[in-house]
Amino acid sequence: MKKGTAIVGVGATPYYFRGKSAPQTLYELIGKAILAAVGDAGLKITDVDGLAFYASGFEPGLITEMLGISELNFASTVSAQGGGSAGVLDLAAMAIETGRAETVVCIGACQQSSRRYGLALANLVATPDGIWSRAAGLEGPGQALALIARRHMHVYGTRREAFAEVVMSSRLNASTRPGAIRRQPLTLDEYMATPMLADPLCRLDFCLETDGAVAFVVTSGERSRDLAQRPVYIAASAHCGSREWGRSFFWLNMPDAVFTSAGGELVARRLYAQAGIAPTDIDVALIYDHFSPLVILQLEDYGFCPRGEGGSFVESGAIRRTGSIPVNPHGGHLSEAYVIGMTHIREAVEQLRGQAVNQIAGAQFALVTGGPAPIPMSGAILRN
Amino acid sequence: MSAVSTAPDLGALEIPMDAWTQPFWDATAEKQLLLPRCSACSRFRWPPGPFCPHCQSQLTDWVQPGVARIYSFTIISDQRGHGADQPQQRVPALVEFPAADGIRILAAIVDAPLAEIRIGAELKLGWSQAVNAVVPVFSIPR
Repeated sequence: MKKGTAIVGVGATPYYFRGKSAPQTLYELIGKAILAAVGDAGLKITDVDGLAFYASGFEPGLITEMLGISELNFASTVSAQGGGSAGVLDLAAMAIETGRAETVVCIGACQQSSRRYGLALANLVATPDGIWSRAAGLEGPGQALALIARRHMHVYGTRREAFAEVVMSSRLNASTRPGAIRRQPLTLDEYMATPMLADPLCRLDFCLETDGAVAFVVTSGERSRDLAQRPVYIAASAHCGSREWGRSFFWLNMPDAVFTSAGGELVARRLYAQAGIAPTDIDVALIYDHFSPLVILQLEDYGFCPRGEGGSFVESGAIRRTGSIPVNPHGGHLSEAYVIGMTHIREAVEQLRGQAVNQIAGAQFALVTGGPAPIPMSGAILRN
Repeated sequence: MSAVSTAPDLGALEIPMDAWTQPFWDATAEKQLLLPRCSACSRFRWPPGPFCPHCQSQLTDWVQPGVARIYSFTIISDQRGHGADQPQQRVPALVEFPAADGIRILAAIVDAPLAEIRIGAELKLGWSQAVNAVVPVFSIPR
């Protein structure tokens, strides 16, 4: 198991409903998150010598100018959108393990006043090989992933009650989390009465649209022991992908067995092999929840239940805080906030420091997944 | 009478084309649906592109794919309404061609009673006009 690198600092802005972070600028949000993370670690901004991004990244020159970082030895971006969120930890770990950099800050941020990710298919520049999505009337990832959700229902008998349970569990967790956007507990009747947006997905199956920035400081395991916080080690990290998943919801020609998955099996195999542990060793799972059915499919990908049984698994109460694998005790993207996967890494760190609002007692291993999306997909296993 | 799926408004949609997708749109302009098949190994691929992913050949035939069936679909209530009394419901679907190695293309299911739209249902081919191309759409045969 790797113990060579650790997350030693976490910083975040408040989470805002879409557009409500104005008049702060996007780079202002990023700067505030970085300064908070560096402060949390007990370091100075001039200690930072590396930046790791995903989702098209941000401008390293502007960030170093703006904050007074003196020198960068590493600046790189995972070549994926939401699929790459946990991949920033992989980039940071690689930079540190190879000696390229000593203190790498990983950054995720979004401000959706000008660009709404939910309309990604409609907003994307139409390309010759992707125009069929638009010609069919698909406007966003949620509508395209509804095709996968319906197929999973058809093949395995998964019920809307299972989607509802993912949302209800998430809402219950967020109800005690300060700063979460949706904190009102939800009943099954209320879920079932909510209008459909992309049948079989109703409005509540779609994640929030929020603004915010989150940053992490990663350094070597050796150095981490002298800093302000209890180190959270990167036990395994991966960003990778198979042709069978490819462009995911932009392609939709995965083989049958892969079509009804969340495309995470390869990442899962890499992570468990690297960490030398099994799914049963994971104490808390931070599962990227842009759309509730994809949580169920990822639970199958990551081996928490057999393929096709994810629906009955969640309906049994398994993902509640009292269940066999607590999922998203912070409320996730469905209820807390959406910062493209970063809030899940933050929660993993808080759980492993023993500081989480909804602490899972004795948590030692946390799984974090990147979003089911075009490859590379990503994930990480963290430990204390 | 149950609700019927409406067509997406393609009147303003400009279809971008390149050397590898042009034959698809040339065929639809003649109201023919043809899909790309590798001349070397006879495997279909989607989307049309410069290489066969199975044997990497660049030689391509354009072939009628046979029966079309619904592989999956979603129903989207159109909030914009177009001034209609009833909510408009569009049905983007993934259409499978079992005789063409099971490749799937995205297309709208139009003029179909929602109650009859099911995974596995056989489809009838139709057409809708975009700005610069004719787009395949599908309906449920009566």
